[in-house]
Amino acid sequence: MPTDAAIATGAADAPTAAASARSTAGLTWLWSLFLLLVLTFLVIYPVTMLLLGALTNTNPVVDGFGVFDISLANFVTVLANPNVHLALANSLIACAGGTALAVVIGLTFSWVVVRTNTPCKGFIAAASMLPLFVPPLVAAVAWSILASPRTGLLNTMLASLGLDWRFNAYSMGGLIAIFGIYYAPYVYMFTASALRNMDPSLEEAAEVTGATPLRTLLTVTFPLIAPAIVSGMLLSFIVMLGIYGIPAVLGTPGDIPVLTTYIFKLTNWSPPLYSTAASVAIILMVVTGFLVWLQHRVISRRSYTTVAGKSFRPALLNLGPWRYFTLGLAVVYLFVVVVLPTLALIVAAFRKFLFVRNLASLFDERQYSLIHFERLFANPLALRSIVNTMEVGLVTALVGGVLAFAIGYTINRTSLPARGSIDVVSTLPVAIPGLVVGVAYLWAWIGLPGGLYGTIWILALAFIARFMPDTVKALSTSLMQIHRELEEASWICGKGLIGTIRSIVLPLARPGVIAAMTLLFILAIRELGSSLFLYTSNTMVMAVLLLDYYEGGNVGITAAFSLVQTVLLGVLIGIAHLLSRGGARSGDIGRAG
Amino acid sequence: MRKTRITRREFVAGSAAGLATASLGTGPATAQNFGSAELIEAAKKEGRFVYYTANFTEVEQETIKAFNKRFPFVKIEMVRAPGGQLITRVKTEAAAGKLGADVIDHSDRALMQPLEDLFQDYTPPNAGDYRTDILISKKLWPRVTLGWSIGYNTELMKNPPKSWMDLTKPEYGPKLIGQVVAPSGGTTWTRVMFERQVLGEDYHKRQAATQPVLYPSGAPLSDALVRGEVSIAPLLYNIVYVKKRDGAPVEIFFPPEGVPVNFYASGVTKTAANPNAGKLFLNWCLSQEGQAFMIKEQGNLTALKDPPAYPPGWNPKVVKTWAPDFQQYVALQKEWIEEWNKTYGYRQ
Repeated sequence: MPTDAAIATGAADAPTAAASARSTAGLTWLWSLFLLLVLTFLVIYPVTMLLLGALTNTNPVVDGFGVFDISLANFVTVLANPNVHLALANSLIACAGGTALAVVIGLTFSWVVVRTNTPCKGFIAAASMLPLFVPPLVAAVAWSILASPRTGLLNTMLASLGLDWRFNAYSMGGLIAIFGIYYAPYVYMFTASALRNMDPSLEEAAEVTGATPLRTLLTVTFPLIAPAIVSGMLLSFIVMLGIYGIPAVLGTPGDIPVLTTYIFKLTNWSPPLYSTAASVAIILMVVTGFLVWLQHRVISRRSYTTVAGKSFRPALLNLGPWRYFTLGLAVVYLFVVVVLPTLALIVAAFRKFLFVRNLASLFDERQYSLIHFERLFANPLALRSIVNTMEVGLVTALVGGVLAFAIGYTINRTSLPARGSIDVVSTLPVAIPGLVVGVAYLWAWIGLPGGLYGTIWILALAFIARFMPDTVKALSTSLMQIHRELEEASWICGKGLIGTIRSIVLPLARPGVIAAMTLLFILAIRELGSSLFLYTSNTMVMAVLLLDYYEGGNVGITAAFSLVQTVLLGVLIGIAHLLSRGGARSGDIGRAG
Repeated sequence: MRKTRITRREFVAGSAAGLATASLGTGPATAQNFGSAELIEAAKKEGRFVYYTANFTEVEQETIKAFNKRFPFVKIEMVRAPGGQLITRVKTEAAAGKLGADVIDHSDRALMQPLEDLFQDYTPPNAGDYRTDILISKKLWPRVTLGWSIGYNTELMKNPPKSWMDLTKPEYGPKLIGQVVAPSGGTTWTRVMFERQVLGEDYHKRQAATQPVLYPSGAPLSDALVRGEVSIAPLLYNIVYVKKRDGAPVEIFFPPEGVPVNFYASGVTKTAANPNAGKLFLNWCLSQEGQAFMIKEQGNLTALKDPPAYPPGWNPKVVKTWAPDFQQYVALQKEWIEEWNKTYGYRQ
């Protein structure tokens, strides 16, 4: 904040300030060009290489970089491949089912929190968002321990109770259920804020005309917030479509390939089919891009016509004794998404062998030991992966945070040339699933000897590109809150653009910047999809090593490492929360997969 | 085929020497030659190396622990992946000039032979003790030799199978048997060849009729067997043996029709940053002491002319080993694996 004295001094220097502003104006083109170049390097170049990769039959590993035999044949072959059709169909069914469930859960809780007199609403709101912090792979591993058809812990309990019915996580139903319960927060976020901002007069009118609360809900309230529901729905669908961890763990034993697992499999055959993987990745990107476009259309055309500038305080529905039922629903939800999976991980991590004959055996203390933790840390790679992950997270947060600030400031607070293009290119990664970012970066850098491949920088740059839309959006929100008058006052006082940013904008936006950086840090340390293609033994990260342990067939070590990660993530989120004091938009956490 | 088979006579002949040398296993370092004093000193200076292996993580961690008892100054960073994935990683990294491995240890000799140029010259001190008929390159050595067995969960299987042919019986289906998919790597391909050449052309068709559950590699299958996800599984002896030894509810046996044997190919890369530490590790693994450890503690076999020991549960009067003809191993792989995929309904 400029002091009075500073303003007085600045006013005296006004002519100098004008000259300096002119010279700054000369630099604006250079600045815009610089940002566009950085974005080209981060986003356009890898995506172009991915497109080229899809249109060629050459293999970058065998043929080296830049040898392209362009033809549509490869792409057409992929489109005609029945395995791709199956993977696409499975992806669409699993994500559609998961989204439907997410809508039911998300909408129920947003209504309960915003519009009813259910007790402990703070707890319900927190429970509704908590699943976003659980890494998808960890959730899937936990549920494979709980609900594998023959020996899942839940099934062992059912058998002990003499019941014939069994859970089956390795099925399309299982996939849908896990997607639905872990991605419901997206729907919750959108619908809760729409419900909060809704003009209640139409609901009141319905009640006056004698409609029951349920009828009002179904015929007035939900239709009014339909754009928010559709938005949340599409976003959760997009996120599920790009997730690798859940279908890898639950879909593989059930023989349910989806697009992400199919892409990974293609690159793991010998010889690896990189160009086919690139083609399938393009299909995934096109489907995602279409959904992002649809979401923008829904928001821009129909959004929030009932939401006005006035503030409302919608009346709370008195649920009577049913309010304990709605509270109970939240408790059950929290139990299912967090408590039960954590218990399963604890059992698997400490139990010598995960064969549980019956309930009595579950509580037999002789079956438990620290052997899996000992074996985990006997492998130096475990510690190295933790160190690498922290390094990648820090680099991503610092470089990504600075870049996002530069982009966010340029887009929102300046009238620099090419702002529109910068905006579009920096938003583009929304439509690119993590796994596809990984394939694109692989294509872009693999054939260049001495390049980025094999360093932690390739991981960090891929994460920066992937999460740029999230970070820029989070930062823009805090930049918007700083009134232009403050900057103008600084200019009048003779401060240049850089000086204004340093003395006015940065100090005021600091909580927002720190929040965005911590968000980026957390997103980076739990990212699996894009890491899968970019790590080497020297740059192994936690998420990949966890998958390695899982695929290496040791559920005990996998569970032990999952617990280590959960505790680490919990501590980091706690620190992040303290640093940003709630400034980070927790809703952005879940896009990592 | 006949040429490459480890004969019963070789095993029997080796047993006496084996038992004698096995007892040397815990003796002082001077009792065996693990390399020159210069090599050991250089390895000590390097202090670490990166090790890519297709063998099972927990088995390899034990090997590393035993090696570290002898040479505690070498830290080993292990990257484990199933055969197909490992070769992809090696090729990818090599093409980018970023091969991270100092030592590569792979189950599929056919995949390793074309990569011979990636490796530097390496000969273990006891090279003369090894069978020459199974060597595919002077740079690559059979650090590990594995045999197939059948494992079952003792809590779930009261009437276990007793032979390979039993696995075609309808009573062991549906979804009671777990099978590793044929394209998963060299060891599985060896078993697939054995099944077709020894057990009969229609064996796969009959076995697939029991509707086995398919697994991408042996490691998750062995875990599924212990957890009871499947009740029976053909598995490499070493992965089940360590679990049984630690108290898991599993039993293993070598089927009477024969034990398909697979030899690994292991070498030190040309680009190795820590070649001496890598060589010392291979020297130890290939030594009498290393091989005896792997046989007795992990249930491995060996490519030494005179095997220092038998794996636990090995009855030389009953067990017949079977090793593939390397020419056929290379020539038939693609076609037979595709046929296997079709028979078992495995989509690639």
